[in-house]
Amino acid sequence: MQKLKPARFLDPALDRTSIAPNETLSHDQLITWYRTMRLARACDKKLGALYRQGKIVGAVYLATGQEAICTGVVSLLERNDYFSTVARGLAGWFLRGVEPRHVIARWLGRDVPPSHGRELGLFFADIEHYGIAPYHNGSMASWIPSGAGFALAFKIRKQPRVYVAFTGDGATSPGDFYEGLNFAAIHKLALVVIVENNCFAYSTSTDKQMPVENVADRAPAFNIPSEVAFGNDIFEVRRVAKRAIDHARAGNGPYLVEFKTFRASGHGEHDDMGYVDADLREFWEQRDPLRLFAEYLDGPGGLGETAVKAIDDECTQVIEDAVVWAEAQPEASPDTVGDRLFAP
Amino acid sequence: MAKTTYLEAIRQGLAEEMASDDRVYAIGEDIGLYGGAFKVTEGLLNRFGAERVIDTPVSETAIIGAAIGSAYLGMRPVAELQFIDFVACCFNILTNFAAKSRYRWGAGVPLVVRGPCGGGVSGGPFHSANPEAHFLHTPGLKIVEPSTAYDAKGLIKAAIRDDDPVLFLEHKLLYRRVQDEVPEEDYVVPLGQAVVRRPGDDVTIVTFGAMTHTALDAANQLAERDVAIEVIDLRTLSPLDYETILQSVAKTNKVIVLHEAQRTGGIGAEIAAAIAERGFEHLDAPPVRLASLDTPVPYSPALEAAFRPSVEQIVAAVEHLVEY
Ligand SMILES: Cc1ncc(C[n+]2csc(CCOP(=O)(O)OP(=O)(O)O)c2C)c(N)n1
Ligand SMILES: [Mg+2]
Repeated sequence: MQKLKPARFLDPALDRTSIAPNETLSHDQLITWYRTMRLARACDKKLGALYRQGKIVGAVYLATGQEAICTGVVSLLERNDYFSTVARGLAGWFLRGVEPRHVIARWLGRDVPPSHGRELGLFFADIEHYGIAPYHNGSMASWIPSGAGFALAFKIRKQPRVYVAFTGDGATSPGDFYEGLNFAAIHKLALVVIVENNCFAYSTSTDKQMPVENVADRAPAFNIPSEVAFGNDIFEVRRVAKRAIDHARAGNGPYLVEFKTFRASGHGEHDDMGYVDADLREFWEQRDPLRLFAEYLDGPGGLGETAVKAIDDECTQVIEDAVVWAEAQPEASPDTVGDRLFAP
Repeated sequence: MAKTTYLEAIRQGLAEEMASDDRVYAIGEDIGLYGGAFKVTEGLLNRFGAERVIDTPVSETAIIGAAIGSAYLGMRPVAELQFIDFVACCFNILTNFAAKSRYRWGAGVPLVVRGPCGGGVSGGPFHSANPEAHFLHTPGLKIVEPSTAYDAKGLIKAAIRDDDPVLFLEHKLLYRRVQDEVPEEDYVVPLGQAVVRRPGDDVTIVTFGAMTHTALDAANQLAERDVAIEVIDLRTLSPLDYETILQSVAKTNKVIVLHEAQRTGGIGAEIAAAIAERGFEHLDAPPVRLASLDTPVPYSPALEAAFRPSVEQIVAAVEHLVEY
């Protein structure tokens, strides 16, 4: 098989620098999604600053540049559908109602549920309140077999519910990815795999991660449908992800969608991205998902520049207030360090 | 009461829990149509159907991963590993995901991972493992290993009802060799409780699984020489029932910790250290560890016999302690 080397950084068939929906959307919907994405961007910016100030210890990982994917996908889910993602899906958490102040407090190691200081802000799981499922990072891709388990429970209970596993491109190389998808495909489980192909797994570019052009090219091994799409266009995300979700919900088994995107910050904020060429960054800056969305809302979307700016300002303020609140939260008491290993 | 084998007792316990609780289901390789490599799940497919007795591809991580995911949604999966040796393939998802989940997020994983462990049947290096020490070092995971049919049934039921992940080790040597009178009415053997299998005043042997029977054989021989051995069967390996161990040591003042897994870094080291720390004043001699050699499990009967602890070794260790 011949390896295609895209002349630019994205297959021209996927590429665009302006976006538009092909469905009728209300201003309310547009505003909700834009605000969610903007809130995530503002939150990430602040998290980076808190890290550089030494207030977030260890490391911090941002989602800059990938906000459209989780926002678009989660906007399609029913409340009792579940998904899992690390903080690369921050906007997806927000769309489900997770509060920025809690996210920031977790990054600051404060005593807030559900982890009470035991886990990085990178990971978040709260099935009961948000339908956000546990996400294990000890091994990349372990969320595929466990996601299959969620979908298996839906199937056993004959519930038309869907589980969405967000995953990075790098996480499609470990064996867990294959074991999980193979099992899900055999049992026709309602598992939707959303691959956020952001060009890198840490410092390693995708051409050094896999011998195929697209992650989606791996899908034939499971005999499941797959698509490749442009992940910085929220309207395209909705268009394509809807097919995947409908397919899985109808009992037809897993579906894989690969969204091309770009990780516009480092792997974590400790990473200066010295390995990323300037022209690649420049290319994706022109296609920043918030920029594309804002330009649509300013223009054909009919919201107008002032309204968009007002949302941006409001988000900045929400995050400022969230930091104040989060910093005022106590740390977990050292007495609790041994608690909650087993059910009481 | 009819006698029931260890294997049949596990099957009964599993089937009873499946019948009384529709959240319980079985998942693993060749467990449905074929009834499992050792036939523990024989008949369950016919009785409960393919949605509750799920045959999987050869994918240990998929089995445990799917079990974990469904457990989050309130199911009670009982996952079979065809041989417990293959737990190495899903070590990551079991230790890093299942075991840490409640601590990280308060999200419990009511999962049972069960499978045949142990040697003595010429299983060779890949079908004879006793992996408890790897998991003893994993906070958040419970470990169980019955030695009798009665306990096998009572413990599998308790493990299934437990709200946290349990590694349930079934000693394959005992599957058909051990049988007991097993009640038909519902009962459990609570996790975390050791039992005194044979009372005695002279030397305590702390053990579990198939070695319980080896220890009892040695105790019978020694009784003829008026040496009274107290045999403690741990039953649950994590969390350990130190109270029962220390009570016994306070009485006998001499202790052997006996297990079939390799010696170095084994569970015996942990128990001996704990006895030294917490029961030092009761000891009249250093605790003795008896365990298998620090090699992979050899295949040929002659080599395997030389590898595993024997009645003769136990008798010799007791003699050493008695004279100490
Ligand atoms: C099995 C395993 N190996 C290594 C790591 C460390 N690690 C964390 S994220 C990452 C790169 C992931 O890349 P990708 O899946 O593309 O996700 P992205 O970070 O780009 O969102 C690595 C190597 C890990 N978590 N698990
Ligand atoms: Mg990546």
